[in-house]
Amino acid sequence: MKKKTKQNISMLLFTLPALIVYAVFKLIPAISGIYYSMTDWNGLGKGFDMVGLDNFKEILSDKYYWQSILFTLKYVIVMIIVANLIALLLAATIESRQRAKGLFRTIFFMPNMISMIIGGYMWMFIFTKVLYYMADNWGMTFFDKSWIGDPKYAFIAIIIVASWGSVGYLMIFYMAAFQGVPMNLKEAASLDGANSWQTFRHVVLPLIQNAVTICIFWTLNAGFQVFDVVYALTGGGPGRATQTAAINIYEEAFRGNVRYGYATAKSTVLFVIVMLFTAIQLRLMKRKEQEL
Amino acid sequence: MKQKRMLVQVLIYVLLGAAALFCLFPLLMALMNSFKTNRELLTNVMSFPSTFNFDNFLRTFDKMNYLRSLGNTVFLAAGGVCLIVLFSAMAGWKICRTKTHLSAFLFGLFVFSMLIPFSSIMIPLFRVVLFLHIKNSLVGLVFVYAGLGVSMAIFLYHGFVKSIPIELEESAVIDGCSSMQVFFYIIFPMLKPITAAVCITNALWIWNDFLLPLIVISDNKKYTLLLSTNTLFGQYSNDWTAILSSLILAAIPVIIFYAFLQKQILHGIADGAIKG
Repeated sequence: MKKKTKQNISMLLFTLPALIVYAVFKLIPAISGIYYSMTDWNGLGKGFDMVGLDNFKEILSDKYYWQSILFTLKYVIVMIIVANLIALLLAATIESRQRAKGLFRTIFFMPNMISMIIGGYMWMFIFTKVLYYMADNWGMTFFDKSWIGDPKYAFIAIIIVASWGSVGYLMIFYMAAFQGVPMNLKEAASLDGANSWQTFRHVVLPLIQNAVTICIFWTLNAGFQVFDVVYALTGGGPGRATQTAAINIYEEAFRGNVRYGYATAKSTVLFVIVMLFTAIQLRLMKRKEQEL
Repeated sequence: MKQKRMLVQVLIYVLLGAAALFCLFPLLMALMNSFKTNRELLTNVMSFPSTFNFDNFLRTFDKMNYLRSLGNTVFLAAGGVCLIVLFSAMAGWKICRTKTHLSAFLFGLFVFSMLIPFSSIMIPLFRVVLFLHIKNSLVGLVFVYAGLGVSMAIFLYHGFVKSIPIELEESAVIDGCSSMQVFFYIIFPMLKPITAAVCITNALWIWNDFLLPLIVISDNKKYTLLLSTNTLFGQYSNDWTAILSSLILAAIPVIIFYAFLQKQILHGIADGAIKG
């Protein structure tokens, strides 16, 4: 037997367990999804028929679906900016502390340990009880808003809770990146008369560009899949005002309608949109990295 | 000048303190109010509880079937992590050490799907689950987690193996070790740092995952902590003392976990990030 063939067989044996579970629970669903999205499969009848591109035609005029996509997009963009800026700021601030650095890092990462379902319900208490109490008794009248019931404030509430739950994670990435910036470069810059902002902007930021790319990439991917935090806080409401794409698909498939085929078509469209944005983001960041 | 710098330092600490308080605020509020009676809570949410009575906790402990839910969650996380580590370490090592077209293809096959969002595959995955009759099966769910988790883990192991010298394995083979022996006695112990990162990231993911169990588990005997909490939230919509105490109960295990393994967790997250 040829050496290469022997090597391949040995490799396949070692890869087999991973390959089987991966094929069954990820590859097959991913590929068969394209097929199901062209059927009228639902939870009621046993069988189903091919309906060609009918589902996709229906999606084109599905107002609520596009509304949920737009909402998700808005969420992704705001999270990319807000969560990353706060994480960068916190990382830069505590990285330069000699004392208390570990303590703050521990505290800021803490919310990431807790599921957004738990965190979301805890925040629900804050938004529906605690803030009203503060408004009534401590004179903080600007808290007196319908945080969950008014679409505008519900969006802000979702951003606050989602940032609370993800900033610590991003901060860890940025802190690891800051540690890779050589001390003497920063010292040289300040000797040359650069202030801290200039040092950060022109010395540190270019060197951590890689971490910025990873973090934005992560926020983008997690953002397009957002489910837990919205499910816990508003459930997609009021009405469908804060429905995200994932919640829209979940409801189509597992609540009420049980239209699996149609919901799968929706999820295929979502996948294409995510791919598109990921490709654009990676291309933009690559160009930026080369410029620097 | 010196005074101004002092002032800036103090200001920074004040702001950091405020940010820290913001982080802990929901937890503290939930904890503080979970000891109150409903009447006490409705009069003042910001006061300390007049007495520390555990009635709410006892009430929700039973209602959530706490120990059973906790056991189910531990089983899922532990089982999932074990499979992911074992399967991915074997695959990642061997794919890295084999230099053929097939190995490049396999690596690509595992890695490319990391970008597919879960919501895009959840319905066809549900169909696979129905087809295999593993709906409501915790053992089945462990394998689903393994299937979803191996891509990332193989990617991490593959990257790590590249950095360890091959000579050690070669001399072991010359000494007559089989591939299995080389893997378990020589390679696996050397993979420890990255195994720690894989364990931590996957344990946290499975522990805090909500959507997959929500779809696959409908039998309340198989509920995870999050599913029990969610159900309780639906049943007690206005009984905040019950809800808050159940949230605290659901959060306690991860907080204890974090308190003991904080260094390893933060390292693991950072390690996974740099290589990812």
